[in-house]
Formats: sequence, C-alpha cells, structure tokens
Amino acid sequence: MGEKSWGMVIDVDKCTGCQACVVACQSENNIPINEEEHFNQRRAIEWIRVERYWEGEFPDVKARFIPILCQHCGEAPCEPVCPVFATYHNDQGLNVQVYNRCVGTRFCANNCPYHVRFFNFWEPEWPETLTNQLNPDVTVRSRGIMEKCTFCVQRIRRTERESERDGVDLDDGDRALSPACVNACPTSALVFGDFADPESKVSRLKEQEEKEDGRAYRLLENYGTEPSVVYLKKVEEGAKSASHG
Amino acid sequence: MAGLISLVGVAVLAGTVLVVTFVISAWFGRPIVFGYDDGPAQPIAFPHTVHAGVGPLLNADGSPRLDEEGQPQRVNVMSGLGLDCTFCHRMAATEAAATIPSVGLCMSCHVTVGDGNDEIEKLRQAADTGTPIDWTRVHRVPDHVHFVHEAHIRFFTERDGVPASQVCSTCHGEVAAMTTVRQDRSLKMSDCVDCHRDNGAPTDCTTCHY
Repeated sequence: MGEKSWGMVIDVDKCTGCQACVVACQSENNIPINEEEHFNQRRAIEWIRVERYWEGEFPDVKARFIPILCQHCGEAPCEPVCPVFATYHNDQGLNVQVYNRCVGTRFCANNCPYHVRFFNFWEPEWPETLTNQLNPDVTVRSRGIMEKCTFCVQRIRRTERESERDGVDLDDGDRALSPACVNACPTSALVFGDFADPESKVSRLKEQEEKEDGRAYRLLENYGTEPSVVYLKKVEEGAKSASHG
Repeated sequence: MAGLISLVGVAVLAGTVLVVTFVISAWFGRPIVFGYDDGPAQPIAFPHTVHAGVGPLLNADGSPRLDEEGQPQRVNVMSGLGLDCTFCHRMAATEAAATIPSVGLCMSCHVTVGDGNDEIEKLRQAADTGTPIDWTRVHRVPDHVHFVHEAHIRFFTERDGVPASQVCSTCHGEVAAMTTVRQDRSLKMSDCVDCHRDNGAPTDCTTCHY
C-alpha cells in the first residue's frame, strides 16, 4: 500500500449513455434496487449515474451524456464536515467512507457539490431470488448510514494481495483491479489507473490531453476540490481537432 | 431511618460494582468474570483432538481417555492423527476464507474408518443423502470487516519460517487440543489493530473495512 494515487479518465466523446456502468456498479457493490418511488423522492442510490441533457433547440437538438461518480477529490468538501471522521482521505488517493463509523448526519452529502453521496433512508431489501447474488466482498449498508463510490476498493485490495502472493508486479491495466464500471464500459470511455505512476495509461492520457489543445477538464474545477477524475470533452462534429485525428 | 440509608448504600454499591464490572469487561473485550464458554455444540461432535492433535486423546474435562484395559487411548500407536490444518481447511493458505471441508473429504477416510461410532454414522448418512452438514460457526467477525486468511498466514510463515499450520494458533488458540472448538481471542478491533501496529501492517481503515 501507499505511493498510489488512484484516479480515472472519462472520455465523454466515447460515452454512448448505455448505462452498462450503472448496472455493473449496482450489482458489484450491493446497491439496493431503486424503485420509482425512490427516484420521485430524490432518494435513489446510484454510485455512478449517466446524466443526460439536451443541447440546442429542436430540430437541431443533440443528446449529451456524462457519467458522474465520486470524484475522490484531493481537497474533498465532504471530509472536514464529518463529526466522526467516517470519511477521510487515505494514502492511496481514495476518499474513503467507513460504514461502521458513520452516524448518519448527512453533512457530507450536503457539502458535496457533485451529488454523489447517498444516504440509506431504508433498510436495503432484495427479493428472495437475488439474495445469493450479493457480493460477499462488499458490506451491505444498513439503514441510517452514508455510502458512495469506493473506486471498487475491494477489487484493489484483492488484486494487491494476489499480486503479493504470486510475487508479480501490480499491473494497473489489470481487469481484476479496475472498478466494475470500467470493465463494463463497451466503448472504453472509462479508464482507471494510478496517477502517481507517470507511465500508467491514465497519467499518459492526462498529460497528453492537458496540453494547450487537449480536451481535459475536471468537474467544477473552480471550486478547488482537485478531483481525481479527469474528463475529456466531447469532440464536436466538423470542429477542428488537432490533438486526435 | 438508619436502616433505610444503609439499604440504599448497599444498593448503590451493588450498582456501582455491576457497572464497573461491565465497563472492565467491555474494555478487555471479553467476559472476564465467566470467561469464554465451551463453544457451541455442533451437529456432529467433531473432535479436533483426534484429527489435528498429536497427544493422547482427552475427554471433554481434560482427563486422559482410557481404553478397556485402562490405558490412555490413542488413535494410532503414537497419538492423535496430527493432520495439518490446511488438509481440511484447504483455502486457508491461499484464499480469503479458510473454508470447511466438504462431506466428501471426510468420507475419503470415514468410508472405512469409524464403524459403530454414532457420530460417524451421522456423517455417513449425510453423505448418502447428499445433505451438507449445518456446522455452527464459532469465529465470526461482523459483516463490515473483511478478514483474509491468506495474507495473515503468508506474513507469519515468511517471518517465522514455519509451515502454515503453525500460524493458525496465533488467533485460534490450540484448536488441536479442543474437543469442542471455542473462541480463544476476543477478535475485536483493538485486538486486530494492536497486532497490525506491532507488526507494521497497514492500519488504514480500508485495509479491512469496505
């Protein structure tokens, strides 16, 4: 452990809004099933969601998609407001939620500008037929505590341990290491890796796209939250694109 | 009047003693007055002494088990079988869960060994009908704790240069000497964290909690 800075690069140009990441996340992380009522109450739990919005006026309207998950901010607004240190930043660049410490004040969710923290307003329930599909590596969160994207830390831990056991180097292109959303993405719009390693795929993408004509940006960057998720903006049809052809 | 005051005094004292006992018990993470119990009864009285033990067989009260001639009873000429822990708990040294052996593994010996023993007849019946044995779990950490046997066994075997089966007793106690398996350590978070600190293991929350 240590000397890592996990992060993600999301190429919005490649995102087709197919929701595969959302489904993969729900099943990997034992997220309760969201029903219509939960959405109507704005209490649905989606660690990653695909936001859809329209650009332009009919008939020249364009559908746009952007996947939004916890940004694992370097200066996370959620962390200093927790009275019991249930959320903190660990040495691997992860914004951690410790379920057994959480007392459910919801201050963190109120202070998060990305709306990626979710409160368990109900005891989670699954139909009898689905209880055996719960992931044993992930805690089932009970009523009254906060939860959010963990970058699938259970996969990171398992891959780290197995690479130690087998005496091989941790390969950050390893599918077992990547979060479920990254593995599920059919267009590889999501890339996961270690920003602390300058040779990693995410680092090279970031470096390449942060040049003057690059597409890199981060959500609500002006807040100074220093997110660990880098977005690459959509390429407009017919627009000149110098950085990638 | 004095009688009433002394009665109240006795009640307060008794209450204080109760509270202090409770606090101290909680602090040490174990029931200090009564100790751990003898462990739950299992559907089949499986004696670890016979399978994993290497000494003469003992009764539940610790006295040597005697055969018909009044001599200490042994499984073979020497002692108990002395099986390696990982012979039955096959995944302990390689995966997160140590795992309980299948009925089939038990039957690889007990298809011939143990005629006339009621407990072994139960096992054979389970094998014949294809029903798994509903063992009662003894060691359990809460659901929000993810304990991995492999990493712990790897650390201690590498540090001390001993085989995996000699590491188990660090947390589980001398199971080979237990007729009924019972919990030996509190397995509370302080127990884990103390050991992690002493051995330079990570103490980040996400080491175990996720």
